[in-house]
Amino acid sequence: MSVCAGVPLPKPCVLKRMEDSSKEDYKIHSFDMETQKLLKTALKDPGSVDLEKVSSVIVDQSLKDQMFSKEAGRICFTIVQAESKQNGGSVFRRNLLNRLQQEFKAREETRKRSTQEWVCLVSFICNIFDYLKVNNMPMMALVHPVYDCLFRLAQPDALKNEEEVDCLVLQLHRIGEQLEKMNLQRMDELFCLLRDGFLLQDGLSSLGRLLLLEILEFRAGSWTLSETAQKYYYSEVTD
Amino acid sequence: MSDPRRYRQEESCAAEENRNKGSSRWSQCRKRGADGVVRGSQKEAELTNNTDRKGNRPHRPNSFTTPESEGPVSRIRDWGDEVEFDEMRTNVRRDMQRYRRRILAGEFTQRERKTSSGSSDSKDSRDSPAPGEFETDESVLMRRQKQINYGKNTLAYDRYIKEVPKHLRQPGVHPRTPNKFKKYSRRSWDQQIKLWKVKLHAWDPPTEEGNDLQAADQIDLGEIMDLDFDMEASVDELQYPKTSSSVSSSLPQDSCTGTPSKMMKMDETEIA
Repeated sequence: MSVCAGVPLPKPCVLKRMEDSSKEDYKIHSFDMETQKLLKTALKDPGSVDLEKVSSVIVDQSLKDQMFSKEAGRICFTIVQAESKQNGGSVFRRNLLNRLQQEFKAREETRKRSTQEWVCLVSFICNIFDYLKVNNMPMMALVHPVYDCLFRLAQPDALKNEEEVDCLVLQLHRIGEQLEKMNLQRMDELFCLLRDGFLLQDGLSSLGRLLLLEILEFRAGSWTLSETAQKYYYSEVTD
Repeated sequence: MSDPRRYRQEESCAAEENRNKGSSRWSQCRKRGADGVVRGSQKEAELTNNTDRKGNRPHRPNSFTTPESEGPVSRIRDWGDEVEFDEMRTNVRRDMQRYRRRILAGEFTQRERKTSSGSSDSKDSRDSPAPGEFETDESVLMRRQKQINYGKNTLAYDRYIKEVPKHLRQPGVHPRTPNKFKKYSRRSWDQQIKLWKVKLHAWDPPTEEGNDLQAADQIDLGEIMDLDFDMEASVDELQYPKTSSSVSSSLPQDSCTGTPSKMMKMDETEIA
């Protein structure tokens, strides 16, 4: 019979695919009207706005707004492209990355201060890694920082928080395969931590364990779930 | 936890940086300041020696080589610089693939006047290099590309390419971007770049001041010794006020007689 007899396990919905979004939807509704206007202008005519301010505004919001932190990569990429096309410049990208680097450096304090902000930061960095390709390749400069963030999330104190585990598996779903290509060794190490965590970690919630098991299977299946695993994790328990 | 990569750019990059940061008239025609911000020509009056640069983040080379060090010393980079560097590197590699393909396809025959269309730096149809005999050292190519980028990142270049489409360019009259893939000595290359940029100044936007060549003294043409001069009275002469007579092959070291008004043909063999 069903493996999970007894208490039905909660099913994670870690992958929220935004397939419904139109190409123009950059999810900027959470900004105030003036800022929305600034962003829209930046998309059309980057040379006419203060790009440092634009990057600053985007980073600030990403740290506060969970939804935006997962999607901000797209608007950033579009602005980068627009600026490059308009005048060959890369002011926005440079400012964005350097600001991101600052936040990255301060991540431990951020984590202490607010788990939510920390999780937003990780989501944002990973989203940037996903979208901001350079000559169709991921930015080398971000590979180690992204891994650093994921390793931090795989530490015992982080695994205890569902919020952090959820963030971890979300990132691995989205960019795990790319990351692995850039650096296989670190991915192997990361997954050793995840296996250990799954097996040995006290204080892991059942949801936390479920999330970890799913990601272990996901990677073992070359970054995809078998049909049966998909059914197991993502369909309703009809027991 | 970034890799300490070794970037083999040489110290001339730093020197070039300083030159490009100068407050001379030449820097006024840079389209973008060192911080990357596109600037209009009105701001030029405000620029003084490096005060602007210190405030904004200057665009500094990733590494430098001193005579004492064995190799490149990497500077602690920020992500912005790292990504720009990677981008330049992938661009150079891609250019190299293209160039290699074009050589193997035998595109470079001895065609005197015809130039192919396109917008790469390496469209030099004269003196075809034999396959396998072009510059492949990435650090050299990167350094050269950076120098080319400085030249292209000018208002003069923008105006030039708008004014003179490629198929209308006349060799000798119109500046031509040096081909970074051809084998040149360091000195030869640096001089080609210098001369190319000087020639581009013919397309500088008009300034408010009357005297166009107030900063001409800053050019040191002393290195240009063994060049042959074609006696073409070209567009250049019309652009520059006649502050000098013909430029001879033995230029005085210290003084400058204004930007050269004669065409100079680069001798591609070793320049002493």
